[in-house]
Amino acid sequence: MMSDAQLLTALWLVPFIGSLSVLLVPKGSEKLIKWIALGFCLATFGLTLVAFTSYLNGSDEGLPPIASSLSDRVLNNVIRTSAVDGSDYDSIELNGAGRDGRKDLVVRMPWIPSFNIQYYLGLDGISLSLVVLAGIVAVLSCLASFPIEKSVKGYYSLFLLLCASMIGVFLALDLFLFYVFFEVMLLPMYFLIGIWGGENREYAAIKFLLYTLFGSVFILVAILILYFWPGDHTALVSQMNPNTQTVERVAYTAHTFDIVKLTQAATTTDFYGRSIQTVIFALFLVGFCVKLPSFPFHTWLPDAHVQAPTPISMILAGILLKIGGYGMIRMAWPLAPGGAQELSYLVALVAVVSILYGALAAMAQTDFKKLVAYSSVSHMGYVTLGMAAMSLANEPRIYSYGVNGAMFMMIAHGITSTGMFFLVGVIYERAHTRDLNKFGGLFATMPVYAGVSFLIFFGSMGLPGLCGFVAEVFVVLAAFNFNKLLGVLAAAAVILTAGYVLWTLQRVFLGKPAGAADDHGHGHGHDDSHGHSGSYPDLDQREVIIAIPLVILTVALGVLPTPFLLSWMSPSVDETVKAVLSAKTVVDGKKTTASLNFPINNPTPLETVKR
Amino acid sequence: MEHWQVWIYIAVVLLPLASFTIQILGMRILGNKNAYVATATIATCFGLSAFGLFNYITTGPGITAFTGLHAHHDDHGTSGAAPHGSAGHDDHAPGGHSADTHAPAAEHKDADKHDSHKDAVKHDTHKDAEKHVEKPKGEGGGSSEGSDTAAGHGGKLVWKSEYIWTALGSSLGKPLTLSLGVYVDLLAALMFAMVSFIAMLVHIYAMEYMHGDPRYPRFFAYLSLFCFSMFGLIASPSIFMIFIFWELVGVCSYFLIGFWFEDINNAKAALKAFVTNRVGDVGMLIGLGIIWSYFGTFSIADINNALSVSRIRDNDTRITRAVAGDDITVSILAPANAKGDASETVTKTIPYLMLTIAGLGIFAGCAGKSAQIPLHVWLPDAMAGPTPVSALIHAATMVAAGVYLVGRFYALFTAEALLYIAYTGGLTMIVAATIALVQTDYKKVLAYSTISQLGMMMLGLGALGYAAGLFHLITHAFFKALLFLSAGSIYHSVHTYEMPKLGGLLKKMPVTGYCMLAATMAISGVPLLSGFYSKDAILAATMRFSAETGHYPIFFFAAVGSALTAFYMFRMWFLVFDGTSRSAHLEHETHHTHAHDDHGHGHGHHGDPVAHAHESAPKMSWPLIALTVPTIAVGYPISILPFGEPVLEQMIHYSAPVATVDLSDWHFKAMMVSFVVASLGIGGSALFYSRFKIFSPEPYARRFSLLYNLFVNKWYFDKIYSIIFVKPAMALANNISRFDKLVVDGLVTGASNLTHMASQASGLFDRTVVDGMVNSLANLIMNTGEKSRQLQTGKLRQYLAVLAVGVVGLFGWLYIWIQS
Repeated sequence: MMSDAQLLTALWLVPFIGSLSVLLVPKGSEKLIKWIALGFCLATFGLTLVAFTSYLNGSDEGLPPIASSLSDRVLNNVIRTSAVDGSDYDSIELNGAGRDGRKDLVVRMPWIPSFNIQYYLGLDGISLSLVVLAGIVAVLSCLASFPIEKSVKGYYSLFLLLCASMIGVFLALDLFLFYVFFEVMLLPMYFLIGIWGGENREYAAIKFLLYTLFGSVFILVAILILYFWPGDHTALVSQMNPNTQTVERVAYTAHTFDIVKLTQAATTTDFYGRSIQTVIFALFLVGFCVKLPSFPFHTWLPDAHVQAPTPISMILAGILLKIGGYGMIRMAWPLAPGGAQELSYLVALVAVVSILYGALAAMAQTDFKKLVAYSSVSHMGYVTLGMAAMSLANEPRIYSYGVNGAMFMMIAHGITSTGMFFLVGVIYERAHTRDLNKFGGLFATMPVYAGVSFLIFFGSMGLPGLCGFVAEVFVVLAAFNFNKLLGVLAAAAVILTAGYVLWTLQRVFLGKPAGAADDHGHGHGHDDSHGHSGSYPDLDQREVIIAIPLVILTVALGVLPTPFLLSWMSPSVDETVKAVLSAKTVVDGKKTTASLNFPINNPTPLETVKR
Repeated sequence: MEHWQVWIYIAVVLLPLASFTIQILGMRILGNKNAYVATATIATCFGLSAFGLFNYITTGPGITAFTGLHAHHDDHGTSGAAPHGSAGHDDHAPGGHSADTHAPAAEHKDADKHDSHKDAVKHDTHKDAEKHVEKPKGEGGGSSEGSDTAAGHGGKLVWKSEYIWTALGSSLGKPLTLSLGVYVDLLAALMFAMVSFIAMLVHIYAMEYMHGDPRYPRFFAYLSLFCFSMFGLIASPSIFMIFIFWELVGVCSYFLIGFWFEDINNAKAALKAFVTNRVGDVGMLIGLGIIWSYFGTFSIADINNALSVSRIRDNDTRITRAVAGDDITVSILAPANAKGDASETVTKTIPYLMLTIAGLGIFAGCAGKSAQIPLHVWLPDAMAGPTPVSALIHAATMVAAGVYLVGRFYALFTAEALLYIAYTGGLTMIVAATIALVQTDYKKVLAYSTISQLGMMMLGLGALGYAAGLFHLITHAFFKALLFLSAGSIYHSVHTYEMPKLGGLLKKMPVTGYCMLAATMAISGVPLLSGFYSKDAILAATMRFSAETGHYPIFFFAAVGSALTAFYMFRMWFLVFDGTSRSAHLEHETHHTHAHDDHGHGHGHHGDPVAHAHESAPKMSWPLIALTVPTIAVGYPISILPFGEPVLEQMIHYSAPVATVDLSDWHFKAMMVSFVVASLGIGGSALFYSRFKIFSPEPYARRFSLLYNLFVNKWYFDKIYSIIFVKPAMALANNISRFDKLVVDGLVTGASNLTHMASQASGLFDRTVVDGMVNSLANLIMNTGEKSRQLQTGKLRQYLAVLAVGVVGLFGWLYIWIQS
């Protein structure tokens, strides 16, 4: 068995090595490159599964990682510091991370000690679910890349670099490291869109790059505020160490990029006051809203998607957008819970606007790919809404449904949107058009393709029994408890979603096969004179292999969400929920808010969080 | 399992799913044999359901419970027993002498009424039925089989079991759970039997009707999926699970309406059906959200129990603000959870207004599915699907799901909600009936008649006739399925739906003709057929309701609607079967005017469709005959004579979640009314449309042209919706898209242009000002250099000395700076 250090490092290093080794393949052997790249993707996916099984089972000794929260597991990997303020590394103790063989899926080493920057990776249910998803999507999009013939070597090298960095983003527990992975990710993406994209690719690539950089500036500022926040250096810190039962009087200072430590500082102390948390939260929010993307920061997405080649769209929608949501659940909320609560109504409003706006904009599109892109904006709104629905009044457990719904939406959307972009790519490859009005009747001529499409699109629409439903219903239920009006609006969006999804399916699959003469109207048009449309070949073997896992996951997550995902993901989510809701700033804020407006039925059951 | 019977129903639900999976995955291998797989499955389901029903009656209340001549089983309501405790009643007075400690409903005001049949009803066979057993559910994650609990409300036999689907929030206390499961009481058992019976016959029928269709195997796969969804819906113990299957039946309906999708109009009809239903589903989601927020559970039985207490109900058994107050506080069973904690009773408070809204929200979902105004517009278009589908889904089963849910969740609705339901149902009944009057397409007549009858069921339920509405649901399912299948049989033979081309078919198709006549008589309320009894029950309920509350339109809707129903149904039957073929005459007058529009399914015909008509093959005619039996007999009281409450109605009564009102005083009056309106309707129809044809309808159509146009244009619902919903939504979408491009993206582009301009400006500034300064500096230096040339001595020693002094000076300054 691999140690944690080896395993977690390998997760991002393997595709990175792949990216380099592809470059070493001699010219003229394109086919070899494809298979090598696929091999590296499969190896990465295999590693994510290894991580998954270690997360569930652990090693022989001790509890498996799933049994304890990330903040507890981190304690096995303490880097002992001499100075109280943690700025000085005299001696280093690594009693986890492969030294004693104990599996806690955390690795921690000093990287740039003078700034207290660590090489700090870790997995919990939240990041693990996304890492596994990234592994799957990487394999599938690598398979979907096979038809690409333009400078294959460069393509796969950048592709694997992209995979490496996006997995690194989910692994990093150090904000600096996170930021490095986050920025590294932009480069391959820029080139992949800018070189292998459609006719307007340079524009889309530049827009993507600049827009994301614009967003990341906000994230950087938030990180720097967290790091440099002077605060009261002798502030009392209660329970910084979750293993101690008593309140410790420990001086605390920031000057760290350690996410876990910062989370504890932000949630259990008032080191970061409510007002600075509001600033931090707003900065994070803008940064991650760009990435998510959420209205009004979404306009790079349709362009990027339309111009990107199919497999890159799959990765973009399947994984890259999730980094926005991941940042919210890992950083924005836990690192600034008071700010999150302060702005929760605003955020929820933005989320609902995003949902409705994205759905309406999708309905108006005639470009198949653009439509799917806008549907992503709409669906990602549920992520924000689920996070924002911090119930003030009734039932904190319902907030857990909201955040779990948000996470579930990320996974579900990761699966369905990957599928949808793949399916759009399939038909684009055959028809060389994405104009919805030029299709029709494909149900008859491409039954397998049609069957897969109906399933995946229905999954995205939130049909019960398929994955999107679980997410939507969780979020809507939580939203109801948060604010009735927003809940109603979010619920009403299901009409629009049904409208654009079904209308799209109708235009592509139903009716008579569209001919050049038949102008997509009443079904009495005669058979096409050109004969090129409606007679495309059905999915080939490679495409079926891509479709099968997506179909299986769409159904499996929808029918049995608990065994397949929630059982191992939700404990971590619930930890975060608890941390956020029990944060000092939130509880204090709730009291003041409550005394002003809201009668609380069961007075703050979260006040006592002592273990 | 506490009750092995639960497995029967789990099997009934899951078998069609297995069958669907086999058919979809094995379609290439199985091909047309799919039909046999599907039919065998549904036949098994019917066998199991029938056995389950029989077993329920024998192990539960016993058949004698439903044969009493006393009609009004008020004590069947749950106003008595709580889910806990109270082991072993030996008569039917629930809770009357059981020690209820946790009782959400300890009072029961109608204790005075239930003495009349203590002797008639024994159920000591089932002493343990009341035990509410919560078993540990295994460890977290809820992946284990849930508890089996034996008894539901009121100490009545319930077979149930649940599986914890999700359990979240464990870090914040006990996790909140959502569960799936099976909950079979007598109502559900009856529905299972009814749905599986009709579905089985439709499967057999479709083997002939769909024969030769290129997508024949797929048709049966869809049917299997539908059966799974419908059974799941019936079995649902929670409103959440109902919502799941609600959508699933919707999607089956979508696929089957659009089955012949080559005609884009069929595809559009399918889309319209789904989206209209989703509008209702939003209401349902709102209801779900409110229920979840205030009760913390989705369990229908638990909420019914909590809300059935007579403390919050008036003398009419309705929840009213006057009695219940602005805030209703009830005791409710907290849902089981994955950690194995025992269920406990908790106290919850819900504002009266929120309860009303929740009820209306749930009803909005029901209105969507059951095609009530204003969401009825999808159902006539849904007739684009194959006729067996229309019979099964859009007449007998799925569209009745809304009515079923209102009945199932009856305790949820406050007085205002019930009144709204009654008026909606009444209006729907009248509006649909008037449209049916003027249709020329006999399938459309049936479609509008379905809407109208569903309205009547809702009317009955809203008018406090719990058993009446659901009784009509079941009788209607049989005769309406028969009507549709007969219509399919006619179409299969004559390939047209247009009544003006038909006439005199009775001689050519006697089996279809007489079967359809039986169904037409049943729906019209002719005595001694099932419809008579159920309509009578609804009329009695509305009559009582109008008299007691002063809402006279409620009774008016029911009576006039019934008369109209009799009229247009017999109009249809006369036009199709009576007289002689009108096409023959028409043929004579205008030669080959136009080919018939065959809705994408037939072969265009010239000439008289009636001339070539023939009776359908046995696979189609036998199901008709089989359906005729329940069409006639399912509503009988024990004595066949129209006295006493029909057995079926009593069975439904038995499952009532709340105490119900006494209708016995009204049955006779209602019967009179029923008889009169049926005679008026049938007689009027005979005067206009039968072979005797004493009056001609055309002059009347002209005289009342305003009304006639209103009816023909379906009260302009589609047009109005198009103007106020569809077009604005599309316009909004387009505008948002444009807004997105121009404003939101425009801001981004603008910002980038601004930056570009700023960089240009800064470039200019750089060249002119900054670089200019540098250049002028350079010039200055040059000039200075020119002037200081004399300093250059060319001696190396001098240079080194200057350098040394410079370095020392620099270091000195650095040293001082660091020190400070």
